[in-house]
Amino acid sequence: MTVAQRPAAPSRATGLIELRHITKVFPPNTLALDDVSVTFQPGEIHALVGENGAGKSTLMKVLYGLEAATAGEVRLGGRPVRFRGPGDAIARGLGMVHQEILLVDEYTVWENVVLGAEPVAGPLGQLNTTLALRAVQAKIAAFGLDLDPAARAGDLSVAARQKVEILKLLYRDVSVLILDEPTAVLAPQEVPQLFAELRRLRAGGQTILFISHHLDEVLTLCDQVTVLRRGRHVATRAAAGLGKPELARLMVGRDVVFTSRRSPHPPGGVVFSADALTVRAPSAGGRAAGRERLRDVSLSVRAGEIVGVAGVEGNGQFELVGALMGLLPAAAGRVRVNGRDLTHASILERRRHLAFVAQDRGRMGASLAAPIRDNAIMTHHRLNPALTAWRGWLLRPAAVGRFVDELRERYAVTMRAAGAPFRSLSGGNQQKVILGRELLLDRPFILLDQPTRGLDVGSTEYVHDQILQLRARDRAVLLVSADLEELFRLADRIAVMHRGRIVADLPTDETTLAAVGYLMLEGRPAAG
Amino acid sequence: MPRSFLTALAGILAALLIGAGVMLAQGYNPAATYAALFEFSLGDVDSLATTLKNAIPLILTGLSASVAFASGPVNLGQPGQLLFGALLATLGGLYLPLPAPLLIPSLLALAMLGGALWAGLAALLRRAFDMSEFIVTLMLNSIADLFTFWAITGPLADPDAFSPMTPAIQPAGWLPEWGEFSSALLVLALAAAGIWFVFQRWTAGYEWRLTGQNALFARLGGCNISRNFVAVMLTTGALAGLAGGLVVMAGPHRFLKGLGANYAWDGVMIAVVANNSLPGTLLYGLFFSALQTGALGMELITAVPSEFIQVLQAVIVLVVVASRGRLSEWLDVWAARRRARVKPLAPAPD
Repeated sequence: MTVAQRPAAPSRATGLIELRHITKVFPPNTLALDDVSVTFQPGEIHALVGENGAGKSTLMKVLYGLEAATAGEVRLGGRPVRFRGPGDAIARGLGMVHQEILLVDEYTVWENVVLGAEPVAGPLGQLNTTLALRAVQAKIAAFGLDLDPAARAGDLSVAARQKVEILKLLYRDVSVLILDEPTAVLAPQEVPQLFAELRRLRAGGQTILFISHHLDEVLTLCDQVTVLRRGRHVATRAAAGLGKPELARLMVGRDVVFTSRRSPHPPGGVVFSADALTVRAPSAGGRAAGRERLRDVSLSVRAGEIVGVAGVEGNGQFELVGALMGLLPAAAGRVRVNGRDLTHASILERRRHLAFVAQDRGRMGASLAAPIRDNAIMTHHRLNPALTAWRGWLLRPAAVGRFVDELRERYAVTMRAAGAPFRSLSGGNQQKVILGRELLLDRPFILLDQPTRGLDVGSTEYVHDQILQLRARDRAVLLVSADLEELFRLADRIAVMHRGRIVADLPTDETTLAAVGYLMLEGRPAAG
Repeated sequence: MPRSFLTALAGILAALLIGAGVMLAQGYNPAATYAALFEFSLGDVDSLATTLKNAIPLILTGLSASVAFASGPVNLGQPGQLLFGALLATLGGLYLPLPAPLLIPSLLALAMLGGALWAGLAALLRRAFDMSEFIVTLMLNSIADLFTFWAITGPLADPDAFSPMTPAIQPAGWLPEWGEFSSALLVLALAAAGIWFVFQRWTAGYEWRLTGQNALFARLGGCNISRNFVAVMLTTGALAGLAGGLVVMAGPHRFLKGLGANYAWDGVMIAVVANNSLPGTLLYGLFFSALQTGALGMELITAVPSEFIQVLQAVIVLVVVASRGRLSEWLDVWAARRRARVKPLAPAPD
């Protein structure tokens, strides 16, 4: 589809966007932004980078009116503004695309786009379909987006759904787009296309503020880069001439090693195996039932081996983890650890043989409100006899205290007191507690579901080190990850999931990032 | 703990001020009213003893609700469980031929059994048919109400009485008085200590707490969620049942119509105000008992009707619950600002 590249002048040019001395305090006691001042020029792609918790998203939420700044002001074109919510921001030409995509699956693209701002006609204010469709088509053409306005939103790929979110804002005539980690939900192949479209938007006069973790993306796409660290403004530089190591150093304040340290290590016997595992999840909502299931999945992990599971999110990884952990019943197939059949075992029984790090710390990995101590002893309270007395009926507070101390020391957790709420820990320290808890179980098989999701570079490195140590100690590790770079760094083999099936199981050294990416998207190897 | 104490205190003070405003608007003297309220609830040993005694069922049903809410199950069946506890204790007191040292513990056990059975019924329906305990416990309250009314007007009715009640239980089942104070206080203290022990030391109590905070996390950690659910229902039912047993054994020594009519709902209210904390439940139980006890005296010497106390209670609940989140937030912001000034380079937690 070729489209005339007509620069569409945004109807509400905002001019210079200035954030001046923005400070944001989050209870309890988190200084999320500390006197941050940044200026965004109209018509540029400006990246906001920083480790997790650096304050990127918070800063954008302040700009967008989702969070009220504790101090400081926002100026548009030299005039101070105060947004009480996204509605105010959109009215002034600012729009934000969040990571979660919120579309009505049953509606078409154009219906989703006009929803809430429909052109109406007639005495009853009926929706004027022709006008709406034409307006949406005009926007698609003006910005050269590759989208079919008549397609049903539920049938679209994640990348296309993301485009619909952007289109929703363009339809509302915004001239500033705030994108919160837009590439996090995309497969590697989809990223260049998004970038091409963002460049076209820039050519059309849009200002784009781009939140990202990924240095490559920032350097290829953006004009300006603003680095935040721990709530403070570190630097704003032109992307041209800025090197990856330098940017990484600005972000973390030290050099980060990018190379893999996976050394040759001959694997032992099979520890974990899943044979023809099938899961029927109850189909919820309008999504295709077939994509929600796990079909005939066979996998094995040997001692001293890391097997990675790659796949675009929502292709059965959730069901695989659920079935292995006993959250979802297996409709068919077998799960074994060291020859022991765990297919229908209770969760407690499974926990005797496997350790598990969940992808969602606040939902599955911990209780945020509970004290750190209570989070640290989960599972151990049943399976570690040192912590209990009276045949496991009573907890021994002194032993629990020693256990938490041991965990803190061995996994270098920074915490004030074991009785403090878990949520008072930083994300990296939360993950250290969870990882430490699971590794101290000392199980032969370790299931890791996106163990570095949402972690900053330093914490990610730490987790990777721990995973490689497990391999060196002849544990069997199954690593489910959406981060291909992580899989290529750590995994001995990569199994690719597509629509609930394993479509490939390849030695990492014999494949490429591009090949795996293609398998993730298409479910078959690239031709030729 | 000091934080929650502070916000509670601020809430109560604000509520008392609002109460004073209400009284002023109606032409009463707030100072004299509050003085009378204090004098007749805590002013002398006699009043104090009465306040403490009245606090027992409030605290026990409050503990029942607190433990349930903190552990996940929405047990709102305290009124029914209290009635069944009282009924079983009364039955035992009427028909068990035992000496006092055996009869008293037996009646306490029967009271707990009665409450546990009634709560267990709801747990059973949840397990078997996945019926929400929220609805079931509420509906079982009405059944318990009518069933016990039938029992005390029919098979257990005292033929000599003019209103529905059972005959008095054997004196061996009466809880002794120690001077002004009822020995039921000892039972309350034991029950509270037991609950503390269960929550803080018992392995299952740990699972209850964590399940109440994040059930999925607890489940993945190997906690047996459904077994814990039943255990919590039985325990909290037993606590409410014990409240009923103590009302019979320490008070009128018989099952009267309308026994403990409001105790159990006040207990649920106390759990809500106390945010399901154990010390909070004890303190609010005592505080609400003092209000209710002092109300009678207040009515004697001032013109303020004792119903005013219900207004005051409601205002306290609303103000405390509504303000504590915001108040706590202010304190957090204040603490964060102070920390930011002291240590400008302090890392922001992710």
